[in-house]
Amino acid sequence: MGTNTLERVAVVASAQTTLRESWSSLQHVDLIGSAVSSALRGTGLRMQDVDVVIDCGSDVLDGRSISNCGFLGAMGAHHKEESRVEEDGLFGALYGTTKVASGSASVALIVAYSKPSESSVSAYYSTLTDPFYQRALGLDHVGAAGLMANQYLTTSDADEEALLRIAAEAWRKAGNNPWVETATVPTLADIESSPYVADPVRGLQLSRPVDGAVAVLLATEQVAHRLTERPVWITGMGTAMESHFLADRKPGELEACQAAAAMATRRAGISDVGSFGLAEVSGTSAAGEAMVVEALGLAHRGRAVDCYEDGASVSVNPSGGALPADPIMATGLVRLHEAAARLAGRLGDEAATTALVHGAGGLGMQNHCVFTLEV
Amino acid sequence: MSDSLLTGIDDAQVLDANIALPYTLTTGRAAGTFLAGLGDKRILASRCDTCARTMTPAQDYCNRCGEPSGEFLSMPETGTVTAITRTESVTLALIRIDGSDTDLMHRLSSGGPAADVGTRVRAVWADTPTQSMLDLDCFTPDDSGAEPGTPSPTGDIEPITEIPYAIDLAYRHSYGPHYGRLFDELATRRRILGSKCPQCRNVLVPPREFCDICFVRTAQHVDVADTGVLQAFSIIHMEFVGQTRKPPYVYAEIVLDGSATRLIHTVGGHDVDTLKERLSIGMPVRAVWKDAADTRGTLDDIDHFAPVFEQLP
Repeated sequence: MGTNTLERVAVVASAQTTLRESWSSLQHVDLIGSAVSSALRGTGLRMQDVDVVIDCGSDVLDGRSISNCGFLGAMGAHHKEESRVEEDGLFGALYGTTKVASGSASVALIVAYSKPSESSVSAYYSTLTDPFYQRALGLDHVGAAGLMANQYLTTSDADEEALLRIAAEAWRKAGNNPWVETATVPTLADIESSPYVADPVRGLQLSRPVDGAVAVLLATEQVAHRLTERPVWITGMGTAMESHFLADRKPGELEACQAAAAMATRRAGISDVGSFGLAEVSGTSAAGEAMVVEALGLAHRGRAVDCYEDGASVSVNPSGGALPADPIMATGLVRLHEAAARLAGRLGDEAATTALVHGAGGLGMQNHCVFTLEV
Repeated sequence: MSDSLLTGIDDAQVLDANIALPYTLTTGRAAGTFLAGLGDKRILASRCDTCARTMTPAQDYCNRCGEPSGEFLSMPETGTVTAITRTESVTLALIRIDGSDTDLMHRLSSGGPAADVGTRVRAVWADTPTQSMLDLDCFTPDDSGAEPGTPSPTGDIEPITEIPYAIDLAYRHSYGPHYGRLFDELATRRRILGSKCPQCRNVLVPPREFCDICFVRTAQHVDVADTGVLQAFSIIHMEFVGQTRKPPYVYAEIVLDGSATRLIHTVGGHDVDTLKERLSIGMPVRAVWKDAADTRGTLDDIDHFAPVFEQLP
């Protein structure tokens, strides 16, 4: 981190459950316990070594108030400092990183979980809107994605063809990701023939809600060096929020994502965003993902699709990203897990040594969080 | 993944549940005035004097500078579509009302002439106001070619201050392997199941995959007795949402024999005054089951726990 009075913080281990449309035979606690025990396995760390547990989920999605209280055992949080962030999981990692960086914890466990199959995703997003001006209109994530995609295409040179290609690449990569369960991998032609759900967004261009849990272990430099030969350092973090009202945001751009990325790269001392070898980003639609890629500075306005061409300097979402698998509230932490595992060489040989990680929450991606990583 | 839970068969057992909550929403000045205006077939904006911007719909604070808004303005009923999307149920649009500096989100009429970005539209009013955003029913394409209108000052408008509201959310909760087995055992054998931690040897009810304290996987399911001791109790006199019994009744934490956890249930079998007088912490209790014909496979198949007074010295 920026000043030398703060501890360096590393991702030392992480794990996720398989992401699938429904884990109907398991409870939240079963998914959480599985991800947490997998993250600890092989590290030499025991649960007693974890000083603080930060978790992310949604009471509305979970169908109970302060739902984390029922999940403490599965998170190993018994009689520990534990805190819930009702936001995307990457915000929880931000909280945990500050705990470790400040010296108040040596090891932090970050957990995020979601079972959207148990409730209505549309109702969940509707509860996020203000009840007077937006909710009464029938606004949910689908309508928000449609309006934003319409604005993106209206205000930039991008076309529907580019958005089809971005979605097709996401699904193709997810097809190679053993942690994303898909019955079939839709091709570009399948995506193009899927009906509009909110034009110009087609069904297969909207992020697919999935059930799952993810756990990430953060540690100080001293602990990290003891545990692994290849700690993944968190070099920068940033966060910012858009205006609540969709109509008040800048059409076709994500200014808050831009601000969060600027904050993270400034902390990391990185002036050339083009130098990142890897990016794991969260988009709630193909156009949303394109807008994130552009806000992060990885492509010029309207040209996000270039990042998905062969020979692009940065590898965007080798995991497939959020379009094929969006465990709402856990999506950004899955991105951190994927990027860190890749940089650490846990998923095979990896050329990249730096990564940008992005998570988003709220209706129409109101809230953005960005991490920079380095090995 | 060497995780038996995640590779087990899918035998989905689910609990259908609902969360229905009543609210009284407080509108505040801007939204209250705006909604009152809609009831009067007027679209109201608020003015930020600092930024010299007109915001539609009216806002209490400027979303740019954060200063409190100034006067309300009565806006024209016409504008231009700046963004549009058609979903299964509704056509949503952002509309730049003539004279406004921000967009208003609203519905476009279904059917009729198609609209796109740039289409001129005008307001269609609902017949009967309901203190809702939908008192402005929708916007519809306007090909009259009329000149854009201009904002004008409003007279005094009495804001709506409170709006009744309700939320109703539906869930299908998975029981998972442990709760599923617990409820199966209750339904078929009237036995209460726990899981045993191999480290601390505690038996946990309801059964679960991980010991909360040791964070190790529980090794086996074990039966626990339907007798136990009273750990804590309280006499409930008040009524509240979701209550399954009529007050007064005795709410209790019971440690079943053979387990280390506290089960929440009720103590009964005597009138509340007797229980108040004679119950004490540590007193033995035993389950009183409902008639077999009423078995549902839940912990509510136990009607109540009865105190075992005669065992006291």
